[in-house]
Amino acid sequence: MCFKNLPIEFDEQGNARLKEGVANPYSYEVTEVTPIEQDEEKLKELLSRNGHIRRVDFDPVTRVAGALAFHTVVDLENRRVLETDSMATLFRGYEVILKGRDPRDAIFISSRACGVCGGVHSTTSALALEMAFGIHPPPMGIVARNLLLSLEYLYDHPLHLFLLAGPDFSEPAVRETNPELWERAQHATAPSKATHGYGTIAELMTDMTPLTGKLYAEALHMTRVAREAYVLIGGKYPHPQTIVPGGISATIDVSDFNEIHLRIIKFFDYGQKVVAIWNDLVEFFYEANPQYRDVGRRPKRLIEPGQWDDPFAYDGTYENADTWGRARWAPPGVIVDGELVTTKLTQLNIGVEEFVEHSFYEDWTAGNGNGNGHRFETDPLGNPLSPYHPWNKETIPKPSGTNWKEKYSWSTSPRWDRMAMETGAYSRIWANALANDYSHLNHFEPTGDGLKFNVPGSSLPAAEHEWKIPEVWGAFERNRGRAYCILYSALIAYENLLIGLDLMKKGDTTTSVPHEVPKDFRIGAGFWGAGRGYLTHHCVIDDGVIENYQIVTPSTWMASPKDPFGNPGPYEEAVAATPLLENYERPEDFKGIDVLRTIRSFDPCMPCTTHIHTDSRVISREVITCACGVDDDGHEH
Amino acid sequence: MSVGPWVADQLAKARASGVEVEDVSYHPVGFSQNLQEREPYERVVLVGSVERRRAPGTVEAYRWDGELPGRDEIQERVSEAVTGVISLDNTLIVCGALGGLPDEVRVVEVEPEDQGWGDGFSRTIEERLPEVLEAVWSSTRP
Repeated sequence: MCFKNLPIEFDEQGNARLKEGVANPYSYEVTEVTPIEQDEEKLKELLSRNGHIRRVDFDPVTRVAGALAFHTVVDLENRRVLETDSMATLFRGYEVILKGRDPRDAIFISSRACGVCGGVHSTTSALALEMAFGIHPPPMGIVARNLLLSLEYLYDHPLHLFLLAGPDFSEPAVRETNPELWERAQHATAPSKATHGYGTIAELMTDMTPLTGKLYAEALHMTRVAREAYVLIGGKYPHPQTIVPGGISATIDVSDFNEIHLRIIKFFDYGQKVVAIWNDLVEFFYEANPQYRDVGRRPKRLIEPGQWDDPFAYDGTYENADTWGRARWAPPGVIVDGELVTTKLTQLNIGVEEFVEHSFYEDWTAGNGNGNGHRFETDPLGNPLSPYHPWNKETIPKPSGTNWKEKYSWSTSPRWDRMAMETGAYSRIWANALANDYSHLNHFEPTGDGLKFNVPGSSLPAAEHEWKIPEVWGAFERNRGRAYCILYSALIAYENLLIGLDLMKKGDTTTSVPHEVPKDFRIGAGFWGAGRGYLTHHCVIDDGVIENYQIVTPSTWMASPKDPFGNPGPYEEAVAATPLLENYERPEDFKGIDVLRTIRSFDPCMPCTTHIHTDSRVISREVITCACGVDDDGHEH
Repeated sequence: MSVGPWVADQLAKARASGVEVEDVSYHPVGFSQNLQEREPYERVVLVGSVERRRAPGTVEAYRWDGELPGRDEIQERVSEAVTGVISLDNTLIVCGALGGLPDEVRVVEVEPEDQGWGDGFSRTIEERLPEVLEAVWSSTRP
């Protein structure tokens, strides 16, 4: 039994069904949210504390991909965050754009959702179409796809760790916000000097300085190394030209593999160095102040669809999704309060719902003539599906003014079993760490409380590393986990490279299968991942065109506004738990570094096309106002 | 449609001696890295459509003064570039900061009329395309 909140139970054969005797099983009552500013009594009481209660808006949140605004109310005297609201400020619109189009367009159009992770959108789209079309790639096509995925992550993780989140830990940032820490860092020996070469933590921080720091420059260089390898198969980055339903449209030869190999092995050394850097940084902060463990803290609730298909196990069918899903290098998993409650893709799928109570969309289940109602009551295997499941969802944008009590974001609120879940590079290694019967043991060893990596020697000697599931889950651990994922991605790429060379030796070099777009009614789903976690595309196709297309990205999960049950999204929850450890004397000196470190630890990526169709006209750049313009309430901000 | 890539396609057909044509709308940081690996150019001419609140269709050609904003904004532009935002301005700033551009950089811009997506150009821009092409050629001459 993996569901606590949804009315789903399992029979003796493990088939899911709705619990009997429950009227309107998916109905719910909306829990009213009372923001501080809309509760007069609460507001008066807080303001009586002499101005230490402040509204602080981060708009936009910088050094994230796309458009994110974050509203907080903070108590600067007691160093607490009182209220949080996460706003996706621009409408994506791809789901609307794709309606009525040839399904194959989805691969190229959805890619444009994101300039960092375009390739994974293309792949997820291909997976969804393969399920709908009833095809799957040959082994070499899957190997190619796996390599592309790894290379995309080898671009993404260094970028995040040193260009986006890293500057928050650099000398200028630390010196400005916590000068006492900078003082301490200058005398703090870096324990892993033998690997990364830095004698003190201060030296590390200096080289993380944007634009001038060597670690910053090195990360930029390593992103190029990954991109060079990527384009050998993908054609270009971030929007590959070669991903098709049924595989890859490029041919691959030995020289391609050699060129890719030369670049992957650079990440063995680099990954070890990055792990050493982030281990030293994190432990330094914890030792200086144990409260840093609580920065960005939230429950251990994560969701991961799994990635990197076994070339000999994947068949693209929903019927066998539990089997081929489980065979992935990164297995699927849902973790609730630290416990792995399921590794079955079908159970992961049926537990997903998207809510729009606090989002700029209409509830499609309300009918209203445009609503879908509850079209698919079950999945293809007969398991119950919520009317709020992506297969049932319709994207009906409804722009309005921002109101923290009502609607305030263009992100929906995805939930699994009606719980807010986070996802990320770390959810892959976490699910892997807990996995039983794991089959890819050449370089990985799940221990139940961690994951061991056996890294081959390159310039650095071969080494064993272990990522341990942390006791407290927060911002610093997210960054640390991501550092380990450089090694994780590189090792999986390496294993796939070896499989590819073996296939080549056997003459099994076909990279795709022919296909035709079916004209009858089909549905499909792509379960994959992006640099920052869970990614799914659900499609409904009829008469050769897309009837419905729903994308759930990792940042939809994590940047989500509150759900109908009043539960905050992960960013909101994590920031609300964050102690304000910054060193400020006056309220006006407050920079919010702990809040920003928290938000950036999720590696936000807010795919942000602003184009929507409304019948005959195109609205360009429909920007919903910044967080500081909440209705017209007369409050000064 | 985007003006820059279209112009690159047209110019590439002309094959002028001593002039290399490239669609650089792929990755400002990547472009900077590529430039640094090549023999330095005497001059780079960048062309694109940029909204600056001019009358739609306004074509301007100028020499970039090379002035860069403050560190924080440069960092923001690099972050923007590596997360997929590509614009003429962030290409100039990122390449100016990270390196690769020669001393002489010329820019040809056209003010857009409609920044929506779709096939082709707006009518105003369509009518200005010959002028854009001529401005680019002029910018390449000694």
